[in-house]
Amino acid sequence: MTDWTIILRSMRARLFSTATTVATVAVAVALMLVLLTMRDAARRAFDKGGGNMHLLLSRDASPLVSILNGLYYVNSPRAPIQFREYEQFATNPLVEWAIPMQLGDSYRARYPVVATAPEFFTKFKPEPDAEWSFESGYPFAVDFEVVIGAEVARETGLKAGQWITLTHGFPARDGGGAGAAHEHDQFKYTVVGVLNPTGQAYDRAVFTNLMSTWIIHAHDRIEKAHAGEDEHDHDHAHHDHDHEVVTTAADVTDEDKKITNVFVRVKGREGSDSSAVLPMVFDRLRRGQLFPGGVTVAQPKQELDKVWSIVGNVDRIIIAIAAAVLLSSGIAIMLALYNSMEQRRRQIAVLRVLGASRGRVLGLVLTESAVIGLLGAAAGVVLAAVGALVAATIMKREVGLTIDPTLQPVALILVAIGTIVLACLAGLVPALAAYNTSVMRNLRPIG
Amino acid sequence: MSAALNITGLSFSYQSGEQPFRLDLPSLSLASGEQCLLTAASGRGKSTLLALIAGLIDPHRGTIEVAGTNIHSLHGHKRDLFRGRHIGMIFQTFNLLQGFTALENVKAALMLAGHSPRVQQEKAKALLDRLGIARQGALVETLSVGQQQRVAVARAMAVDPVLVLADEPTASLDPENAVAAMDLIQGLCREKNAALLCVSHDPSMASRFARREALNVGEAAASGAPAGGAGR
Repeated sequence: MTDWTIILRSMRARLFSTATTVATVAVAVALMLVLLTMRDAARRAFDKGGGNMHLLLSRDASPLVSILNGLYYVNSPRAPIQFREYEQFATNPLVEWAIPMQLGDSYRARYPVVATAPEFFTKFKPEPDAEWSFESGYPFAVDFEVVIGAEVARETGLKAGQWITLTHGFPARDGGGAGAAHEHDQFKYTVVGVLNPTGQAYDRAVFTNLMSTWIIHAHDRIEKAHAGEDEHDHDHAHHDHDHEVVTTAADVTDEDKKITNVFVRVKGREGSDSSAVLPMVFDRLRRGQLFPGGVTVAQPKQELDKVWSIVGNVDRIIIAIAAAVLLSSGIAIMLALYNSMEQRRRQIAVLRVLGASRGRVLGLVLTESAVIGLLGAAAGVVLAAVGALVAATIMKREVGLTIDPTLQPVALILVAIGTIVLACLAGLVPALAAYNTSVMRNLRPIG
Repeated sequence: MSAALNITGLSFSYQSGEQPFRLDLPSLSLASGEQCLLTAASGRGKSTLLALIAGLIDPHRGTIEVAGTNIHSLHGHKRDLFRGRHIGMIFQTFNLLQGFTALENVKAALMLAGHSPRVQQEKAKALLDRLGIARQGALVETLSVGQQQRVAVARAMAVDPVLVLADEPTASLDPENAVAAMDLIQGLCREKNAALLCVSHDPSMASRFARREALNVGEAAASGAPAGGAGR
């Protein structure tokens, strides 16, 4: 028999109270851990958003919208940039590289299609110091080849070598009407590569080259023109329309060559992420210079920090609430133990008679409190691991932000230690009551 | 060899209900293995005296020595440990640890007296075996009253105390069990050479003790209680 026997017997004697108290602590700990982990993971996901690009160009209404559309595919950019405008800008000696991009089409009405240049996989890095890596296959090389993100591959089961068709537009966003999104069954794209997860929106994207997208857009333009003719000449019967218009790269006109975004890296010192000319280029672009038709220019890092300052405030409040929940779980421990003191006074008096000191009795109650805290923390960690997984799944599905739901060891240790310290503090009140228990009064014969 | 118990010039004032009382005991000494019955006409003050001897409360005047040690000169955990090692206490209501088994109740006393788990197990089991407690793993509250009292006696005797203090040990028992319990307590004390101070107002006890003392407890006002006494 040791002091632990006494503690365990005491906990067992009030099993219901002990279990509910542990559960209260567990829920509070789990809430705290999930929030801390989510915040951290979200922060990291935001932080690497821009990769090694310096500037994101678009014709969206604001830099922030530009970032949300261009990096997170929240909406399809509306106003296009002509490819020749881009070409003119790309040759600027201040520019290290400029990667054109066309957004707005989709695969299976869920995954955004990113039509871009091969440099996207060679020069642009999704994280400042991490290159693209392929789970299988290789980047697209010719028209109608696609590379798919890790999430697309996982969810659809697509593998390199299979073919898919794409949707012009985004059904969920574009709605019905003249410009309604529609499937292009006649254009088959071959999957040539599957990317490894990046933890970013790229994981949900399908990548192809610009020409493949332009051909489809040219095809639509030609088909629409034919439909117009049909309306003029009804004798020219509809069955005529059924024969497919075959569109190739040769049909693509300058007008069809539209893009929506440009990833830009300006010249700078070798190996340095900062650039002396960046502020100057940024400023000139903002004043409508350098880029022929004018452009919305965004610095991903700055814009994401802006988003974060909004989100960050909200989650500070949430974490404060979680802390309050944790605190109230401490109060629950205190209440449970304090209420038990009424029944325990006699036991404590007996232990004192048998030779236990006041300090030892204090220690017994404090330890019991700490054990409840420890059990609660342990159960909370398990609960949090499950909770984080669920939260990450929801985040991915609803927001498209891929989050690593692994609990942060540091947060985990801090919260666990914090909980046990809190439990000890909570135990102090009942422990002092035990310490001050009068032996004489509680040994008197009952009745 | 020093006496098991030596009280000199003891005085203690306390409040019982509205009434202040004063306990005076000029001298009481018990030799090793000696057994003494203490009675009080008023029925008051006996538990208080036992608490004083056990060092659970401090006297206002006088000294109490147990096995040559003034228990009130010890402080904090030293006094508690001294009590645990040298004094066994038996109560009218047994005061067993509820929710613990018979064996654990005895082991608890040995543990708090500083014995290792192995020694606890050996001693507790041997003693309970001897006292005929078959269901040593049963929770004490499930045992019969007679068995509970035997567990309480075993717990008091397990540490081989110098002095055993028994507070109305038979008051909760039927006559048959009372006789058995007293036989057991007195027999074990004799065997272990422990002094026994038994307080009781049970007249049938008198014949069991060669030595009988009366405790003098009076109203404090009459004998002039010292200022600052407890319970004031």
